[in-house]
Amino acid sequence: MIKGPAVDWLAIAPEMTLMVGAFVLLMLAAFIRGRDRGIGVIVGLLVLALSGGFAVYGWNDPSTTTLAGAVQIDQLTESVRVLIAGCGILTLIISVGWTRMREVGAEFAAILLLACAGMDLIAASNSFVTLFVALELFSISLYVLCAFDSKSKASLESGFKYLVLGTIGSIVLVYGAAFLYGATGSFGFDAINVALTKAGSGDALVILGTVLVVAGLAFKIGVMPFHMWVPDVYEGAPTHVTGFMAAATKIAAFVALARVLLEALPAVRDSWQPALVVIAVATILVGGIAALVQTSIKRMLAYSSIAAAGFGLIAIIVGGDVGARALVFYLAAYAPMAIGAFAVVSMQERDTKEHKATYDSIRGWGFDRPIAAAAMTIFLLGFAGFPLTIGFIGKFVVLGSAVQGGFGWLAVVAVVGSVIGIGYYLRVILAMYDRSGKSGAMVPAGPGLGSATLVIVICLLLVLAGGILPGLGLDWATGAARALVAAG
Amino acid sequence: MITISTLIAVPAVIGVLLLVLPISRKASGYLALLASLAVAGAVIGFIYRFEPTAGYQFADNVEWIPQLGIRWHVAVDGVSLAMASVTALVTACAIGFGLWAGRDRSHTSFGLLLLTEAFLLLVFSARDLFGFYVGFEGMLIPLLILLGVWGGAGRRTATLQVIAYTAAGTLLMLLGILYLGLTAPGGPSFAMADAVGRGNDWVFLAFALALAIKSPLFPLHGWVLPAYRESSPEVAAVLSGVASKAGAYAFLAVLVPIFPVQAAKYAWIFITLGVIGFLWGALLAFRQPDGRGVVAFSSISQMSFIVLGIFLLSDRGATGATFQMVNHALVSAALFLLAGWLEVKVGSGSFKHLGGLARRRPILATVALVLGMATLAVPGSSVFASELLILLGAFEAQWWLGAIASLGIVLAAMYMLRWVSAVLHDREGELVGTSNPPDLRQGALLVILPLVLVLIGLSIAPYQLTSRIDASTHSLITLASQEASR
Repeated sequence: MIKGPAVDWLAIAPEMTLMVGAFVLLMLAAFIRGRDRGIGVIVGLLVLALSGGFAVYGWNDPSTTTLAGAVQIDQLTESVRVLIAGCGILTLIISVGWTRMREVGAEFAAILLLACAGMDLIAASNSFVTLFVALELFSISLYVLCAFDSKSKASLESGFKYLVLGTIGSIVLVYGAAFLYGATGSFGFDAINVALTKAGSGDALVILGTVLVVAGLAFKIGVMPFHMWVPDVYEGAPTHVTGFMAAATKIAAFVALARVLLEALPAVRDSWQPALVVIAVATILVGGIAALVQTSIKRMLAYSSIAAAGFGLIAIIVGGDVGARALVFYLAAYAPMAIGAFAVVSMQERDTKEHKATYDSIRGWGFDRPIAAAAMTIFLLGFAGFPLTIGFIGKFVVLGSAVQGGFGWLAVVAVVGSVIGIGYYLRVILAMYDRSGKSGAMVPAGPGLGSATLVIVICLLLVLAGGILPGLGLDWATGAARALVAAG
Repeated sequence: MITISTLIAVPAVIGVLLLVLPISRKASGYLALLASLAVAGAVIGFIYRFEPTAGYQFADNVEWIPQLGIRWHVAVDGVSLAMASVTALVTACAIGFGLWAGRDRSHTSFGLLLLTEAFLLLVFSARDLFGFYVGFEGMLIPLLILLGVWGGAGRRTATLQVIAYTAAGTLLMLLGILYLGLTAPGGPSFAMADAVGRGNDWVFLAFALALAIKSPLFPLHGWVLPAYRESSPEVAAVLSGVASKAGAYAFLAVLVPIFPVQAAKYAWIFITLGVIGFLWGALLAFRQPDGRGVVAFSSISQMSFIVLGIFLLSDRGATGATFQMVNHALVSAALFLLAGWLEVKVGSGSFKHLGGLARRRPILATVALVLGMATLAVPGSSVFASELLILLGAFEAQWWLGAIASLGIVLAAMYMLRWVSAVLHDREGELVGTSNPPDLRQGALLVILPLVLVLIGLSIAPYQLTSRIDASTHSLITLASQEASR
C-alpha cells in the first residue's frame, strides 16, 4: 500500500473550494438544464467569495509547504488567490445578461471556477509537476471558455486556435522541465536551485532546459515571438472571457514565470536574463506598433496587452526585492483596468448587437453612455500610465525598479513603448467622443446592462483609488515579493 | 486659513462634478465660471497675504505614499504665485469665452478646462517631484481631449503631434525623476529639496528635453502651430497663455535649482537656442497668413526669449523672465481670445478676409491696438519693462549677446504692426463687408478686458510684481550662478 503525503487541508482550502464548487455546479447543471435562472452565477459567486475568504483568513500565516513539498503557501500565493477570486467574481457578474447564460450558465460558472483553481495552484506550485498540472487545468478550462459561444464561428475558432497553440506551449514547457530534471535529478524548485547553485550554469542540458521552459511560459503569457495567438483568441472569445484572460491569465502565467526563474533558476540568471531582455524589448516595441494599426478595439487591446507584458518582463529581469514588488503590483494594477475595459467593450457590443467593436462603431458612442465611456477613458489612460490612475503607479514602480536595478536603457525602451501606447489609447477616446458621429439617440437598456455597469464602476473605483492612494497595494506587493525572493 | 491645496481642490472637484453631472449648458457654464472666479479670488487673497522674503508659503506637507517616499507638498514662492495668478485669470477668461461662444457638450469642455487649471496649479506649486510630475503630465489629458474633440478640422493630426512631442519628453523626465527619487540617501524621497545637486548630466538632459518641448524652445516647437491653430480659442488661450509656461517655469523653479552644476555647464546651449528661437519665431510670425499663426510664432519667439533670460543665471535675467512669463500669458491669451472673436463674428482668421475693422469699431480697435503695442514692447508697457530686464541681463553677460537679442524686439514690432494693420486697417476684407461684425462689446469684451486691464496695471506699476518676485528668483538661481561664476 502506498502511503500518501500529509496534507494541510486548510492551507489548500481556496483551491479545494473552487474545485468542489465546480463539481457541484456541473452536477447541478445536469438537473437544471435550460432553466438556469441565475443559479449558476449565484453559486459561482459564493464559491469564489469563499475561496477568496480562505485566502484572506490565511493571509498572515507563515509560509509553509504541503503535499510533500509540491505546493507552497506564502504571501504571494495568498495575494494571487485573492486577485484571481476577484477577477472571477467580476467576470461572473458581467456574464449575467449574456444570452448563453440562460442555457448553460451553470456550466460556464463551473469551468470558470476550474480555471481559477488552476491559476491559484500555479501561484502555489513548488515543483514542475505541480506547475504543469496547474497550467493544464487552467489552460484547458480557458480553451473551453473561449469556445463557449458555440453558435459563433469566431468563438469556436478562437477556442480551437488557443487549444492548438496553447498545447504547443505546454509541450515545450514539459520538454524543458524534462531536461532540467535530467540535469538536476529533481522537479522541485528548491532542489533544482540547490543543485544548480552547486553545479554552476555551464551544463548544456541546463541551458536547453531553461530556454525551453522560458519559451513555454512565454507562450502562455503571450510575449514576442510567441504572441501570435493573442489577438486572434482575444478577438474571437466572448468579450468578458477576454477580459478574464487579459487580467487573470496574465497574473497566473507571470507568477509561474517568476516562480520558475526566481526560485528554481536564479543560479543560471546569466543564461536567461539576456534572452528575457531581448524578448522584453521586442515585445514592447512590436506589440505597441502592431496595436497602432488595428481597427478592431479588441485586437488593439490584445496587442496592447502584449506590450504591457513587456513591462512585466522588465520587472522579472530586474529581480530582487524591488523587481518582484514591481511585478506583483503591476499585475494587480493591470487586472481591474483590463476587466473594466473589456466590460465596456462588451457593453458596447450588446448595444450594437455586433460581435465586433471597431473605431468606427464606437464613434460618438461616448455621448450615449456617458458613464461607461468616462470609465473607459480612465481605463485607457490607466493602460497608458497617466497619473492618478493605478496604471501610473504600476508603471512608476516598474520603471523605478529598472532605474534602480541598473537597467536604465531598458526603461528608455519602455518609455518609447509608452509614447506609442498613448497614441493608440487616445484614438479610442477621441473616437468615443467624436462629435461628428451618430449620437444623441437614446439606446434602449439591453439585458445585463446593470451588471456590466456594476463591474465597470467597481473597476473604476479600484483604478482611481489605487492611483491616488496606492499605499495598501504597495504593502501587499512588498509582502508578496518578499515571499518570492526569500524562497529563491 | 486656506492653503494651496484648497486652491487646487476647488477646480479639481468642480471639474470632476461637471464631467459626471448631467446638467444644462447654461448651468454648467455658470458653475465653471463661478469656480474659476473663486480660484481667482483666492489667489488675490494669497497675493495680499504674501511675504516676498519669507520663502515658500501657504504650504501643505503631508505623507502621501510613504512606501515610495512620496509626500503631498505644495507651497508657493513669488514665482509660483505669479504663475498661479495668471493661471487663475487666464482660465477664468477662457471659461468666460467658452460660455460666450457656446460649445456643444459644454459641461464636459468646461470640466476639462477646470481640470487643466487644477493640474497647472499643481505644477506651479508642487515642492515634491512626484506631485510636479502628476501635474505636468496630468494636464496633458484634458488638453488633449479638448483639442481632439472640440478642435478644428485638422484636430486629429494636431493631437497626435502634441502627443508625439510632449509625451516623449515628459516620460523621459519621469525616468529622471525616478532616478533622483529612488537614489536619495536614506531611502526614497521625491522632495525637490532632497534632489538638489544629486543629478548627473543624463538626468539633467531628460528634464531639459521635457521642459524645452513644453516651453517650446527652438527647435522643438513643431507641435505648437497645429495645436494653437486647431484648438478652440479658449483652449489655445490656456495652452499658449499658461500651459506652455509650465515648461519655462520649471526651467527656473525646478531644473536650475536642482541641477546647479549642469545648468551652469550647459547654459550656453539654452542661451544659443533661446536667441535663435527668438529671432526665428519672430521671422516666421512675420510670414503667417492668419492671426493665430502670428500669435503662435510670436509665442515661440517670446518663450525662447524667456528661456534665454532664465539661463543668463543672473538676478536681472531671472526676474525679467518671470515678469515676461506673466506678460506673455496675458498678451497671448488675450490675442487668442480676440482671434476667436474674429472667427466667430467674421467667420475667418485669415488676413485675406480681414482688414478695415477699425472703422466704426472703436472699442475693438482700442483693445487690439493696446495688445499689439504691448506685444511689440512699446516703452512704458509692462512687456517693455520685462524685456528690458532680460536684455540688460544679456548685456551684462556679453555685450554682443544683448545686441543680437535686441534685433528680436525690432522683428516683434514688424510682425505685430503687420497684424494690427492687417486686422484693423488696410482695405476692408471681403468677409468683413459681408458679415459686417459689430463692435467688441458686452460678453466678449468682458472676457478680454480683465487681461488687458491687468496688463495696463502692470505697465503703470511693474514694481508691484517685481518686488514680490525678486527675492524668490534670486534664491532659485543662487546656486547655479555661483557655479557659473566659478
